[in-house]
Amino acid sequence: MDFYLGLAQIIGVHTLLGLSAYVVLLTGQVSLAQAGFMAIGAYVAAMLTVLSGWPLMAALIAAGLVAGITACLVGFPALRVHGLMLVVATVAFGEIVRLFFFNFDYQISRGSIKVGPLGGEGFRQIRYFPENGWTTLHVALFIWAIVALVMAALWWMDRSRAGAVLRAVGEDEIAAQSCGINLTAVKVSAMTAGGVIAGLAGGLYAHYTTHIEQTNFTILVATFAIAYPILGGLSSVFGTVAAVIFIQGFLVEGLRFLGDWRNLLFGALIVLVMNIRPSGLLDARTMAALRRLFGRREG
Amino acid sequence: MLFVDLVQSIVDGLLFGATYALIGIGFTLVFGVLHKINMAYGAASVGGAYAALRLIVLIGGPAWASLLIAGIAGGLFGLLIYWICFRFIPLSNPLATLMSTVGMFLLAEEIIVHTTDGMPQNYPVVVSGIADVGELMIRGDLVFVFVCAIIAMIVLLYLLYRTKLGIATRAVSQQPIAAQLVGIRLDHINALTFVVTGALGGFAGALIGSAVGLLSPLLVVPLTIKGLIVTVIGGLGSIPGAIIAGLLVGVAENVFQYFRGVTERDIYVMLLLFVFLVFRPGGIFSSTAKRD
Repeated sequence: MDFYLGLAQIIGVHTLLGLSAYVVLLTGQVSLAQAGFMAIGAYVAAMLTVLSGWPLMAALIAAGLVAGITACLVGFPALRVHGLMLVVATVAFGEIVRLFFFNFDYQISRGSIKVGPLGGEGFRQIRYFPENGWTTLHVALFIWAIVALVMAALWWMDRSRAGAVLRAVGEDEIAAQSCGINLTAVKVSAMTAGGVIAGLAGGLYAHYTTHIEQTNFTILVATFAIAYPILGGLSSVFGTVAAVIFIQGFLVEGLRFLGDWRNLLFGALIVLVMNIRPSGLLDARTMAALRRLFGRREG
Repeated sequence: MLFVDLVQSIVDGLLFGATYALIGIGFTLVFGVLHKINMAYGAASVGGAYAALRLIVLIGGPAWASLLIAGIAGGLFGLLIYWICFRFIPLSNPLATLMSTVGMFLLAEEIIVHTTDGMPQNYPVVVSGIADVGELMIRGDLVFVFVCAIIAMIVLLYLLYRTKLGIATRAVSQQPIAAQLVGIRLDHINALTFVVTGALGGFAGALIGSAVGLLSPLLVVPLTIKGLIVTVIGGLGSIPGAIIAGLLVGVAENVFQYFRGVTERDIYVMLLLFVFLVFRPGGIFSSTAKRD
């Protein structure tokens, strides 16, 4: 049972990561910095609970805010120019964050042991859950409560004017601009929202793994982040969840008997899906067909 | 003494930076012709060098032959990437080809890790020896790398500006539809661009291998990122820009390494990119900062 709960935790955190990229992708921008924002969230939340003794919820909010502010600061110079620049800038930014934590030492003594991030060795002893008597079930439920909250917020946003504005920018920037939409403001807001969600994902990740280090936040993780929504399709938040469950549940866990070869599958799968379904598995056409199908059943 | 050390790291960086310039040219050429980024380029370049290393170890042969083999292997990989990641995907969807090349990047990196068990492998030395010029030491292998890279650039520029194929390539990059109207086959030119840039990348990968002395899967990510930084600093689509930016990044890397140590140097090189994004978003040679 614990195995499946552990898997549920992983899927929950990766769903948040995918959703953080989803918001940015709605505006037609690709951010490969989500792993960097996740790292910032993870280190901030863990340092607050371990070193400063904050409660988890407050630490998570702080992690989201710090990651969001960073995303806003990165977004400004990068989004002013061409969309492809953002890809390059965010790849570089993600690596900057990773290298920063590779060089980051901040340890304080706690009794006989020292706690805190220690460069390449990472940040051990993030023991908030065991110290406060949370079981695996509690943690899984807590993570999924936050996932549900974020998904509901994004689903609602998609139905409001804000969602229409984001999609308008993503579909055709010039048309959106001539409707009086401020492109930079919209893109930077999406980037900030994505940063907040990635920060939350990082904070949760740090606490359930109890040990984080810079190799947890490589460009591979950033690729996962944008792969979920792109593979799942951008027409709804459920595409992202479906893709996370498929990749983490089936590809990573279900195919464990293949050993190392399954790492090859991930890249090959992305290439294959892009060839046969360039707009994602659950694209707008499929979603419309599904809606018709369920509509008929209800009526 | 400090000043000499500084000059020394600038010289070393300038010589090694020529390889970054080659990688940057590869990114920028594909961008110029297709208006797409080929994220798998760095991985394919290192892959070409690996293929050459394998072949040289297997059948034997002079070390310099590995450079040529790497170029050929790189060209083949380039064609493969074009067929797998671009040929059958609608180019109007900007996300699709980006994602497919990112997938290819991961695939290529994993294949390299898999076939070598993730261990670094020694690369044969082509040129060795150190020449003393005053108080400076000029490393023979770096001079060799620099000269080879310059030759590759001259060949490329000749190809682009003095041959019919080059005219066709430049026509496609300026006006794809008009180029089609005068009878240029878009598909051929696109594939050719990938072969040429792939060969350039494989050659650069082998040069890096011979200068560093080994090949490792850990080269892939930094090489991709530095190639992309060179492309942006030089201005997307600008070959002279990529050359200058490549040398600049090489120098910056070594100077930062001299002042801040090897673990921190890449942070500052990447911050250099943000400096350019803020103050000169169009690259070195842009006359005015264009907003898009």
